[in-house]
Amino acid sequence: MTHVLEPELAVRLAGLTFRAKRTVDGLLAGMHRSPHRGASAIFKEHRAYRPGDDPRWIDWRAYARSDRYTIKHFEHETQLRGTLALDISPSMHWGSDDVSKIDHAATLLAAIAYLLTRQGDAVSLVTFDEKIRDRLPARSGPAHLDYLMRTLAEPTPPSGQTALHASLDKLIEHAGRMGLVVIASDLLDLDNEALDPIARIEARGHQTIVLHVLDPAELELPYEQPMHFEGLEGELPVEVDPKGLRRQYREAIDAFVESCQRRVVAAGARYLLARTDTPPEHTLLQLLRDG
Amino acid sequence: MGFGLPWALAGLVAVSIPILAHLLRRQKLPRQTLPTIAFLHRIHATRAARLRVVDMLLLIARVLLIAALVLVAAAPYRVVQSNLLDRQHALAIVLDDSMSMAAIHEGKTLIERAAELSTEQVNNLPGGSEVSVVLSGKSPRVWVRRRSDLEMVETVFNEIDRRSTRGDAMCDAVQTAVELLLESELPDRRLLVFSDFAEGTRAESCEWPSRGIRVAFETVSTPDPDNRRIASVEVIGARDAPGGMRLDVRIAGTSTQSQQTVRMRQKGQETQKASVERTADGAEASLSIGPGSTDAVVELQLDPDDVLPADNVRGVLLGSDTVHVLLVDGDPHPDPRKRETAFLSHALGVAPRIGRSFAVETLDAQDLSESAIIRSDVVVMANATLDEKWLPLIRRFVGGGGSLWITAGDRVNPRAYGSVLRELLPGRYTATRMEARPLSLRSKALPELDQAKVHGRTPIAEVSLNAVVTARFSDGAAAMLEHRYRNGRVAMMATTIDDAWTDLPYQPVFVPFVLDTLLRLAGRTEHSVEPHGSVSLPGSTQSQRIQVVTPTGRTVDLGEADRVAFRDTGEIGAYRVLVNGVNGARFAFVVDAPPAESDLVSRGAPELESRFEAVTLDASSGVEQPLAPWLLLLVVALLFSELWLRQIRRR
Repeated sequence: MTHVLEPELAVRLAGLTFRAKRTVDGLLAGMHRSPHRGASAIFKEHRAYRPGDDPRWIDWRAYARSDRYTIKHFEHETQLRGTLALDISPSMHWGSDDVSKIDHAATLLAAIAYLLTRQGDAVSLVTFDEKIRDRLPARSGPAHLDYLMRTLAEPTPPSGQTALHASLDKLIEHAGRMGLVVIASDLLDLDNEALDPIARIEARGHQTIVLHVLDPAELELPYEQPMHFEGLEGELPVEVDPKGLRRQYREAIDAFVESCQRRVVAAGARYLLARTDTPPEHTLLQLLRDG
Repeated sequence: MGFGLPWALAGLVAVSIPILAHLLRRQKLPRQTLPTIAFLHRIHATRAARLRVVDMLLLIARVLLIAALVLVAAAPYRVVQSNLLDRQHALAIVLDDSMSMAAIHEGKTLIERAAELSTEQVNNLPGGSEVSVVLSGKSPRVWVRRRSDLEMVETVFNEIDRRSTRGDAMCDAVQTAVELLLESELPDRRLLVFSDFAEGTRAESCEWPSRGIRVAFETVSTPDPDNRRIASVEVIGARDAPGGMRLDVRIAGTSTQSQQTVRMRQKGQETQKASVERTADGAEASLSIGPGSTDAVVELQLDPDDVLPADNVRGVLLGSDTVHVLLVDGDPHPDPRKRETAFLSHALGVAPRIGRSFAVETLDAQDLSESAIIRSDVVVMANATLDEKWLPLIRRFVGGGGSLWITAGDRVNPRAYGSVLRELLPGRYTATRMEARPLSLRSKALPELDQAKVHGRTPIAEVSLNAVVTARFSDGAAAMLEHRYRNGRVAMMATTIDDAWTDLPYQPVFVPFVLDTLLRLAGRTEHSVEPHGSVSLPGSTQSQRIQVVTPTGRTVDLGEADRVAFRDTGEIGAYRVLVNGVNGARFAFVVDAPPAESDLVSRGAPELESRFEAVTLDASSGVEQPLAPWLLLLVVALLFSELWLRQIRRR
C-alpha cells in the first residue's frame, strides 16, 4: 500500500464539503452546528431547566418574567470529531485484482480524513482485527493528517481473526460522544451479534457509517474450474467445482450482504457497499450526496 | 462368447484414462484463497455427500462407456445353440471335387460320401432356407445358386462328377460361397466345407469369413491313403532309330499291392506291359517301342488300380519335339539332286539331332494338299508358283500357328505373290534381276553368311512395320525377312534356296542357316495341359475334318473355325488329333494328373482360430449372434447417464 490517497483523487475531492448532519460535540468552532449553548448570536430556543444543566446558561430575564428557570439555546458552530475504524484482519488483505480490500478501504478512509481535516475537524483512527491494534487520537491539522495517512498506509500487521463485536465495543470507548464514526470492514464475522455494537455507537450520539468492503470475486465467485479453496483466517480448505455451486453461493453472499445492511440500518447507521472494482470517488460521492 | 477382432480388446487399457484423470484431478487442483470460504463450506457441506456419490457414478459411467466402446470394436458375439430344424438358414456348401476326392473308400468315392453328407444337411434344413453349392475343384463353379427348392438341391448332388480329375481351388470357392451367403437376406448364415483337406487343398491360406458367418468343416478322407502314381516318363531314343524308343517310367507314392504292372496302350490297344520294380527312389518300370512307330502318343496304365485310379494313367508324347517340315518344290526334276528343294532336304537330313528333330515331307507344288499342310509345322514354298486356290488354306494355316517360308526363283511371279499373299507377306517381291557383280550376304546372327555370293535376286520392297530383316545383301537390301501373322510366322527370302542364283548351298553356313530359320519359324507348342485346361487346335473346314480322340476313345468333332479352344480335357491321358481321319501328330497332346492331388493324407480341417468350432453336422449347431448392437445400446445409455450425472453435479 504505497499510495493511500492518490494525488489525482485528492484534487478531485478538493471541492467537496463534508458536513455532518447531526450536531456533534466539539470544542472548536467550525462549520458544524453545536447543540451546546454558547456565545453565538443565533438564538435557537428556550427550554425548561433540567437538573444537570449548567446554571450559567439560565436565562435570568425569562426567569424574572415567568418565575421559571429557563435555558436559552443558541446555535453554535462546533468542530467535528471524526473516528475512522479500519478492519485490518487477514481477510481484508485479499484481493482478486491488484487492489486488495484493505487498500480500497484505506483509500476511502484517507479521503474522508482529508476532507475532515481540510474543513478543520478533528480526526482519529482505529485499526482492529480481533481487538484494537492502532489508536490515533483526534487531532486536526496537516501534521496529524500526514501521521494518519502513514498509519493507514502501514497499519499494524494483523494477528488474529476478525472479531467485530469486541473491536467495535472498544471503539465506543475511543470515539467518545456525538461524533462521526466511519467503519471500513468486510464484516466477515458471521457471529449473529457481531454488529450489535453499532447500535450502541449510535446511542452515544454518533453518526455512524459502515463501509462494507467486498471484492467482486467474493460476490460473484467467477472461477470456472474445480479448485482447492483455502481460507485466510484459519478456515478448513475445500475442493469444489465453482460452476456447480455458483448460484447457491451468490444467493448466500447476497443474503449476507443484505443481512449486514439490514442490521446496520436497523441500528440507525448508514450502510454503503464498497466494491473494490468501484472507483473510490464514486463511493464517496454517493456518501456525500445521500447525506 | 468370442470376438471377431480380439486384438481390439487391447483398447481396454483405455479404461484407466478416466480413473487416472479422476486421481490426477484430485491431486493437481489449482489452489485459490477466498476470504468468503465459509459460505462455500456452508453450501458444500450439504452437497459434498451427494457429490461424492455423483462423482463415483460418473467415474463408473465413463469407465463403462470406454469399455463398451472397446468391446464394440472387438466385434463380440455369442454362440447360441440353434436348431436347424427351427431356424431358416442361408447355407453354402463348399464341396471339394478335386482329384483327391475321387479316392475310393468302401466302394464309394470321397465325393460321393461328401455329397451324401451334404444331402443330409439339406434334408435337415427348415423350409424357406437357402442353399448354395460351390464346387472347389479347379476351376471353382457355382453348382447351385441360392435355391430354396431344397428337393431340387438334393437331386443335383447326384450330378456331380464322381471321378473328378480337377486340381484344387478351395480359396476361390470359399470366396464365391461367402459372396453368395452375403447376398442372402436370411440372418443365419452357415458355410459348410466338405473336403479331404489333403496336401493340395491348402485351406490354411484361404481367407475365411470372420464375422456373421458360421463356418464348419467336415473332413471326408480315406483311412487308407496309400496311393501310387506314374510320376514321370522319360523317352529315350527316337522313333526312327534302329533300336526304337525306350520309356523309363518312374512310380511315386506307396502301395499295399505286392505286385504292380505298367501297361502301355496305343490307339486303345494294349501293346506291352512291364512289372514295376522297387528301387531306392521308389519304383520304376521300363517299356520299349519298336522302330517305325507312327503314333505320336501312347498311354500308360498302372495296374491294378489303387484307391485313386485317376493318377494311374499317363499319356506320353512320342517325338513331340519333332518339327514337321513340308517342302513344296516349285521346280521339280526327275533327278532328285536337281530339285529345287534338294539342298534343303539334304541339309535337314544331315542336321545334327540336337534339341528338336525334323520330319521332312517333300511335295511337288501341283501335289500340294490340305492335309499335308495341316500336318506340318513349317511349309517351305521353294520357287513355287502360287495357285490362288491355296490362299484360304495358307491363311488359315498361318493364322492357326503354322509358319511359311517363301524362297525366290525364276518361277516366282512377284505380281502374283503380291496380289494373292499380300496381307501375309512381310514385304513385296519386285522384278527379278541378275547382278553383274555378285553380292555377298550379311547377318548378325550368322556372320559366316558373308562367304556366300549371290548373283540373282528378286528384291523385296515395302517391308511391313513389324518385319525383322535377318539377312541383308552387301548393298543393304533385305535378303531375308520375317514377321508374325496372327498365330504364325512368315519368312521371305530374296534369292533361291538352291544353287541357281547363289552358292549359299555349297557354303558350310547353309545348314546352320536352314536349321536356325526353321527352328525359329516352328517355335514351340505346349503339348501338356492340366485337366479341364484349354488346348488351341485348328478347327474343321468344309474340306478338312478335325477330330479329337480322348484317352477313353471318345471322338470329339471340332467345329468350323480357324482355331478352336478345346476344353473337353477332363480325362487324364493322351489325346490324339485326326485330320480327315489321319493322325495329325503335331496336334497330339496329353493331360497330366495334378501331382499334388495324388497325396491323399489328410491334414485335417484348418486349425484356424477358436471361432471355428468343431464341425457338428447334426441338426443342432452353434450360431454366432453378434452382440455389438446391444453394446451400442449400452453405449447410448451410458452417454445419457454421463450427461445426466454431469447436470446433477452442476446443480
